Amino acid sequence: MEAAARLKTRFPVWTLAICVSAALIFFSPLLTAILIYDRAAIADGELWRLVTGNLVHYSAGHLGYDLLAFLVAGIIIETNGYRHYPLLCLTAAAGIGMVLYWGEPAMFYYAGLSGVATAAVVYLCLHGLIEKGAWQWMCVAALFGLGIKVAIEFTLDEPLLVASGTKEFLPMPQSHLAGACVALFLFVLLYLRKRSMPQVSQS
Amino acid sequence: MKWTIPAVSLSILVSLFTVISVNGCATGQTRHATSTVDYLYPNTKDPIVTPDIPVLTLPMRVGIAFVPGDGGGNYGRGLMGPRNQSFILTEKKKMDLMQEVANHFKKYPYVKDIELIPSAYLTARGSFANLDQIRTMYGIDVIVLLSYDQVQFTDEGMLSLTYWTIVGAYVIPGERNDTHTMLDAVVYDIKSRKMLFRAPGTHHIKGKATLVNLSEKLRADSETGFNEAAKSMIANLDQQLALFKEKVKERPAEYKVVRTSGYSGGGSFDLTALAMVLGLGGYFLWKRRRA
Repeated sequence: MEAAARLKTRFPVWTLAICVSAALIFFSPLLTAILIYDRAAIADGELWRLVTGNLVHYSAGHLGYDLLAFLVAGIIIETNGYRHYPLLCLTAAAGIGMVLYWGEPAMFYYAGLSGVATAAVVYLCLHGLIEKGAWQWMCVAALFGLGIKVAIEFTLDEPLLVASGTKEFLPMPQSHLAGACVALFLFVLLYLRKRSMPQVSQS
Repeated sequence: MKWTIPAVSLSILVSLFTVISVNGCATGQTRHATSTVDYLYPNTKDPIVTPDIPVLTLPMRVGIAFVPGDGGGNYGRGLMGPRNQSFILTEKKKMDLMQEVANHFKKYPYVKDIELIPSAYLTARGSFANLDQIRTMYGIDVIVLLSYDQVQFTDEGMLSLTYWTIVGAYVIPGERNDTHTMLDAVVYDIKSRKMLFRAPGTHHIKGKATLVNLSEKLRADSETGFNEAAKSMIANLDQQLALFKEKVKERPAEYKVVRTSGYSGGGSFDLTALAMVLGLGGYFLWKRRRA
C-alpha cells in the first residue's frame, strides 16, 4: 500500500505534462501565436507570454533537443522526489521571460524550453552534490561542464556545437544563465530553510 | 442741398444696400492642402503602378515625411484684407508633428529606427522615383507619408454692423470662424510600391473673433486644428496597425515577413549539453536497475 502510494507520488507528472503541452503547442499554430514570447504583445499587456514562450518551439529539431534534455532531467528529479519542482519550472520560465524582456530589447520573439531544462539540470545536479558516491562526482562534472558551456556561449555568441533546427533563430545564452541562477537561488533557499528548521528527534 | 423725404429714403436704402452688400461679400475661405495621390501618381498618362508582394524585414527602418504640395494655398476673401497669414504649418511645426508620431512608434520593437525627413528632400509630384532616392539616402524600408487638408471659413454675422462705429471692430466678436483639419498618414512599402495601411485624423473648431484679432484667432485655430488632428491620427494609426498585423497573419500570401538575425531568439540545447544530460540519465537508469 505504502509502496503504491510512493510510486504514485513519484510518477513524473509535471515533466510529462510540460512535455505534452510543448508538443501540443508545436502542432497548433493558433496556440503558438497566442503563447509565443512576442515583445509587442507583452508590452500591450499579454504578460503570460513571458512564461508560456518557453513552451513554444520553432522547429521539430528545436523541440526534440529541448524535450529530450528536459525529459531526462525532469524524470530523475521527480523520481528522486526532489521538492518544489513545479515551483522551479514556473519561476525559471518567468525569470527567463523577464530577463529577456529587460535585457534583450532588440529581440522580438523568443521560444524554447532549454532555459527551463537548464534550470532542471542545475537543480538536479545541486541535489546530487549532497549525495554520495559516483553520482555526486557526475553532478559536479555536469555543473562544471554547464558553467563552461554557458561561458563559451557568451564569449562566442553562438552555441558550442550547433544542434539541428537552430538556424532560424539566434541562440540566447541568457536564458540558460537565468535558468541556472533561478535553480541555484531556489536550491540555496530551500537548503537554508531546511537547516534552520528544528530537528525532530526520532524515538 | 435740400433734404426731401424721397431723398432721405433713397439715402437710407443706399446705405442699407451698401452694408448688406459689404457683409454679403465678406465670406472668406482659406484652403491649404497636399495630396499623397498627386505626389505619388502625378501623371495620369503613365501606366498604373502595379505593386509587388511586400517583403517586410523586421525590425523595420521607417521614414516619416510630409508630402510636398504644389506651393501656396488658395484663398478667397471679401473686403477685409488678406487672411492666408493664418497658416502655421511651417517646417518647424512639421518636424514637431513628425517627432510626435515618431515618439509614439518608437515603443514598437519591430520598428528599429525612425527617420524624420525634411520637406526639402521631397520634390513636388516626385512619385516613387523620389521615394527611391529617399530610401537610398536614409536606408529606410517603409515610409509614412503625411498629407493635410485644412479649410478655414470666415463669416461675418450681424454683430459686424458694429464695425461702422470703429470701436466695434476692436471689441465686438463679429467674425465667425470654422476650421476643418484633416491629417492623413499613408504607410507605403517603398520597394514593392504597396500601400500597407492608412489612418486619417480629423478635427473641427468653431470660433469667434473681432475684426482686429481675426488673423491671430485663425492662426491659433489652425494650430489647434493640426495638433488635435495629429492626436486623432495617432490613435487611428494604432488601430490600423493592429488591424494590419492581423491582416499579415491571415494573408501570408500577400505580405511576406522576414526576421533578421537577432530579431528572433531561442533557447536550445546544444549537443554538448545534451550529451551531458543523457550521460546523467544513463547512469541514473543503470544505478536503478542495479538497485
